[in-house]
Amino acid sequence: MQLIHRFVAVALAGIIAAGPALPQERPTFRVKVDLVVLSFTVTDNKNHYINGLKPSDFRILEDGIAQKINTFGEGNKPPVRVLADGTTEPLPAGGEEFAGSKDGAGTASGISSESFVGTNVFVLFDTSNYMYRGFVYASDAIKDFVRGLDRADSVAVYTFSRNLSRAAPLTKERTNALFGLGNAVAGDDSALYNALLLTLRDAAKVPGRKVVIVFSNGPDNASMVAPDDVRAVAEDEGIPIYVISTSEVNKDPLSASVFKRIATQTGGKAYFAKTWQRQVEAFESIREDLGNSYTVTYYPQVNPNEGFRRITVEIVSDAAKKYRVRARPGYRPRTGF
Amino acid sequence: MKFLATVLVSFLASAAAFGQSETQRAWELEKKGDAAGALALLEQDAHSAGATPDSLLALAQFLDRHNDPNARRAYSDALRLADAEDTRRILHRLVVLDLLAGDQPAFHKDLAAYRRAGGSDLNLPATPPAAPEASAPGATTLVPGPLRSFARMAALSPDLNRDQLLPALARNIVTNGYQAASSNEALEQTEYLKLIVRYLSQARELQALAGKDREIRIDTCDSTQTADLLKVLGYRLRGACGSDLALETVNASRAFLTTDSGFPLAGLEQDLRTNRPFHYAYAPTEIPVLYGTKYWMPSGETPGSAFIDYFISDPSLCRLYLGLAKLDPSTAAELRRAIALPRLRAYAHVLDFFGGMFEIRNGVAVVPGGERCARVWADLAGAPPSNPTSFFDHLLARDDGWLASYYDSLSRISGPSLDYLTEPARMKRFYEAVRGKVTSPGPARPVFRSNTEMILLTSRLWVLPDGKPFIPGDLDVWRRLFIRHPHGKYDSKLSKAASNWKQPDDVVEALFGLCRKSVENEPLKIFLALTDIERRRANPLDAHTVDVLARHYHDFGAQYSVFSEVPQLSPATMVKYLDVAADVESLRDPGIRADAGGSLQGLIGLWLILYRQGQIHPAAADKTLAGLLDAFSNIGSERDIFDAGRAGVKTLLATSHGAASGEPQERLTDLLAGASEGVDADVQTALQETLMRVFEAQRLISLDTLFSLADSFDGAAKGRKPDTQLVARAAARISEIQLPRAALSAAERNTMAYGYWSERHIETERKLNLRALLDKSSASPGRLEDARALLAPFLRDTLVGFNYAYYAPPGAELLLTNPVFVRSHDFVGLQGSSSLWRSTEVQGNGWPASAGGRLVGSLAGLPYALAEAEENFLVPTREQALIWSDLVPQILLGATVSRWWHVTPAQMHWVALHMQYSEALYAEAALNPTRRAQVLAVLARHAPPNGVSLVQSALESGNVREAVDETMPAELFFVAQDLAAQDSSRSEPLAAEIRREAAESPNDLNYPAISHAFGTPKPTLANSYEPQLLYLRTFPALMGYSSRILAESWESSLLYYAELADDLHVAPAQLNVLVPAWTRATVEHIFATHLEDWPALLRSLRLVGAEAMARKNATQPVSGGL
Repeated sequence: MQLIHRFVAVALAGIIAAGPALPQERPTFRVKVDLVVLSFTVTDNKNHYINGLKPSDFRILEDGIAQKINTFGEGNKPPVRVLADGTTEPLPAGGEEFAGSKDGAGTASGISSESFVGTNVFVLFDTSNYMYRGFVYASDAIKDFVRGLDRADSVAVYTFSRNLSRAAPLTKERTNALFGLGNAVAGDDSALYNALLLTLRDAAKVPGRKVVIVFSNGPDNASMVAPDDVRAVAEDEGIPIYVISTSEVNKDPLSASVFKRIATQTGGKAYFAKTWQRQVEAFESIREDLGNSYTVTYYPQVNPNEGFRRITVEIVSDAAKKYRVRARPGYRPRTGF
Repeated sequence: MKFLATVLVSFLASAAAFGQSETQRAWELEKKGDAAGALALLEQDAHSAGATPDSLLALAQFLDRHNDPNARRAYSDALRLADAEDTRRILHRLVVLDLLAGDQPAFHKDLAAYRRAGGSDLNLPATPPAAPEASAPGATTLVPGPLRSFARMAALSPDLNRDQLLPALARNIVTNGYQAASSNEALEQTEYLKLIVRYLSQARELQALAGKDREIRIDTCDSTQTADLLKVLGYRLRGACGSDLALETVNASRAFLTTDSGFPLAGLEQDLRTNRPFHYAYAPTEIPVLYGTKYWMPSGETPGSAFIDYFISDPSLCRLYLGLAKLDPSTAAELRRAIALPRLRAYAHVLDFFGGMFEIRNGVAVVPGGERCARVWADLAGAPPSNPTSFFDHLLARDDGWLASYYDSLSRISGPSLDYLTEPARMKRFYEAVRGKVTSPGPARPVFRSNTEMILLTSRLWVLPDGKPFIPGDLDVWRRLFIRHPHGKYDSKLSKAASNWKQPDDVVEALFGLCRKSVENEPLKIFLALTDIERRRANPLDAHTVDVLARHYHDFGAQYSVFSEVPQLSPATMVKYLDVAADVESLRDPGIRADAGGSLQGLIGLWLILYRQGQIHPAAADKTLAGLLDAFSNIGSERDIFDAGRAGVKTLLATSHGAASGEPQERLTDLLAGASEGVDADVQTALQETLMRVFEAQRLISLDTLFSLADSFDGAAKGRKPDTQLVARAAARISEIQLPRAALSAAERNTMAYGYWSERHIETERKLNLRALLDKSSASPGRLEDARALLAPFLRDTLVGFNYAYYAPPGAELLLTNPVFVRSHDFVGLQGSSSLWRSTEVQGNGWPASAGGRLVGSLAGLPYALAEAEENFLVPTREQALIWSDLVPQILLGATVSRWWHVTPAQMHWVALHMQYSEALYAEAALNPTRRAQVLAVLARHAPPNGVSLVQSALESGNVREAVDETMPAELFFVAQDLAAQDSSRSEPLAAEIRREAAESPNDLNYPAISHAFGTPKPTLANSYEPQLLYLRTFPALMGYSSRILAESWESSLLYYAELADDLHVAPAQLNVLVPAWTRATVEHIFATHLEDWPALLRSLRLVGAEAMARKNATQPVSGGL
């Protein structure tokens, strides 16, 4: 999900400013209701992706409140605008600004519909001591994945041990990403969740659809943040986390359970792939996921809930009722000045 | 007209004579910080038809004072109208500026003009002949492959000078290359060293492929060259040549070396896919070897490319190399000539740790205390300093390194402390105390030197004007402490001797005696902490108070930094502080204890911030703290805690000035964000937002809400209608407090060692249902009488949270991400331990054993602990950069503790003037041997001999910029400070300007004020978070808590930023925003090789400065200046 500042709606009244009216120049902290970007996949009972569904096939609910879909996109196709009568029309070429990209004063922030074509993929590669033995094979698998990405996708390669390193900033140029990956250096301690948090913060700044793919074998001996705090950030920012663990589930059950939890609750998936071949397969599966997902945007309807808002994606067509939707469970509205 | 010294004075005098001239107006504007306005006026005046010599010179001097490159042009313009005397002085200045700018043609032209104008004190520098060793055969060795690859594998910064490569490698080999074998006592290679060895082997194979042309070439994808290369690299082709081709690992070991050494694999793959020729220059790297390879190799062995293998295979050889490389080169050369390699090697560990201060000057060993101590040193070492090589030879060998460590500690100090400690009889006596009867283990045996305490004692001992050391309290205090220490005797012999102590020397001797013990030297810590409390007090503490403080140090010592920072505190308040702390500590219920301690410490933390920011007047500080303590003196319940906390907030707000009227939350936020008249509103808003953002992220409840809720409950208990809306809002907020990691599996929960009491604290808060409480009490309102007790934990969090938010490091990722980070603060600690008044510590990093990090202990060390917790969120700008974990928290501290609300533009400019003056001194020193000797003598008081030697060589060869670059900003400042005073009889213009400005604003422009404005907090060295300059040489890496001491000895960052801010013409208040940003950037740019790699930090600092200047220049229209 991408939250783009649009307009200030609900003031978080009393908690910060319980006293008398504030002087005009004082900053005021408020809840902001922004454009919500929601990506999800639909599969049948055999786990096959279901493509070709229309906006009218879906109903999006937030805390049970039906939402009006603003734009709709499938895979890497350009998104379409959903009109009031349920019909769609293409967004103008060259990138019309989303209404949601304007702040309360109507200033354009420069986010265009083109931002929603393709996916921004952030690969986070564990180069700590724990990955020492599998370093080169993992590197090979990541290279294959980068090469195989859709042309519309952008990719960034980050590495981490105790600190994060932005080996290759977000780019559409595969070569740049591969060259960046070549700069990876084996490190020492592992601060996986610190690095994941920083990667999410970077991803959150990029408009459009994005995912983070973590390539690690799990142990973390240096992070100051806990995985579930990081997971909450991913939920709120609408960024699915995919994890490829080079460890077997039963070898490190704690890391495995954390990986599964953060992946599932952000709309991503966890893979346990010890061998290079399995790692390649995992990447292939992620690529498929990206190419077969739907992305909708909407402006949330008035909702007094300033805490966690539960999102439900329903398929309204009778024929599709046996389909399964995988999406993140919800988000907390952003706060700011 | 007179030149700068006189001219600037005359500039004003003449301005006064002519009334409100442009120069006078410009000066007024400059004083107010409007440099751009001043420049505009001066330019207008100088470029007008009626320009006078004064106006031209005024413009040139203004540009010069502001480090503007256009100053030279303006001086040249001023020459047109200058008289003979001024012509000579202007040319003198031009020569200096030309040299600093590295403009050789202009330098030669102006120097010639200067000499024609009668100047005779500046002469062309004589380029010294190259050192004999540098050109000798075998002066270098070849390392196969490019430097970049070798540097990556050996963990060396690629920014190192070639001369520094081998010493840096030697250090890495010594510290990381070998480990004790598990099966026997022999050393075995670590993985780090094994990889270097394997890399060298692979690099030689690649070197062979590169051939004589020193280039790896692949002409076509399907050539045999491809197969040969890939085999060495550990890869193979997957897919046919063309766009489907990919390289995949076939030999993991080789492939790892290929990747880790940065071989351009992606480029190779790309060229193979597109069937383009691949060319990669692969030449061996030539690295200088100190004294040439032959010196280090055993006779009969062939030096050459194998030298590197030989070198890394012998850790003791590496250690000797490292030791000799640290020495002043001429001293090292003499030692090498006089002492055989095997003997030097036997004492390499001593030389490495304690040789850095060795110096032979004029054929004599330089010894602490000078000539008057020569005989004592001769007695102690067994050879006289007049025979320098023999002296140092003996010094190295004596007492397993203890004498060398004593020499090292004394060499680092100067002034009254040195005079006291080197009184011959005393020096000998104290050394005997250090040495003891059994010298093993020596201080150079461990991985890091173990004379931390001795360095602390010698550098922090306070010697009074009468030449005696300051002894806190009286001798009886120390006698009692050693004889009847409540936590066990320190040393049975010292305890016995203590009853006979009659002189301060007896105490100091005992402290020296304890320096060599491997156990914690608590008496020394007590001694230094109490000395630091006394340093700034108007009247010394009475013996009774000192006695109380000494006896309670074990339990409450971490709190003494408060006493050091606020010299106005009365003895009664200090004792009360300890009494209240003890009372709170004795509360049986851990929850109440934590809430009481946390709330009180939160209030004390806020009091200290407001005092530091000048919002609590020094005269009111004692009374205010006493008021806070009084409120907590009789705590028995949560209700008492809430009332005391609320009363404390009221006390703080009533005493502080600068905040507008309003509700407590808003007023406190404004105060912390620097609210006072005349501050920069934008900066204040930015700081308010930071505070509020953290407050919000931590889901804290505002003071207003808590106080209103309490009033509402009290009212309801008396039958009035409660404010249900308020209750609903607070209840909603409480519901946002997440149970930490609610979805944990049982296995995760069992693995975690989460703080029991902090978890319980959060649980209790989460369970509080205010609505239900109100509903249940509707029938019997009296039940609400105690309701405010339930709010006490929330008030604690809010008070603690304000402290966290204030000290939030740049980025504050942790505070913005973990919503219960403040609530998780563990005041109680593990069961059975008592952390409430201990220093703050970071615990629990890593997952899942910890459930994420949190802070434990009191709030006394909160700023440092927060910086430590945050440091790993910084992102190095280079992939292999080492984030310097021991240094970074201290550097961040400079940005989180200091605020610059009361700094004046003149203070920033004064610092910048000092830097400029030092640079000018360097330029003069390059051209004038007398000046050079003077400058180097002063520099030697602040820099190690090796550093001085580097500067000397650069100056002698006329490389002024190189000399400046070798000098730390703090050293430049200190040199200027020392010489500006000495220059008073000369007409050195910048020195005169420094003095003139100081005379004009004596309250702002003095060294204590600058120390306060641009010094750094030194909680370990000075037992205080008060920013200050201690004029220290940067310390070496020491043992124990020494990494903090090492970091605290770095005093350059803020002085550098002050100069930068002056060059950028930013208002001082903006430093409150800029310094955190610059600090973060500085840390992220560091690419250090080892713990003492200060040049790496300096490079980073200068890079940040250059980037800031480039941004400024990019946004500024091209004009005549600034």
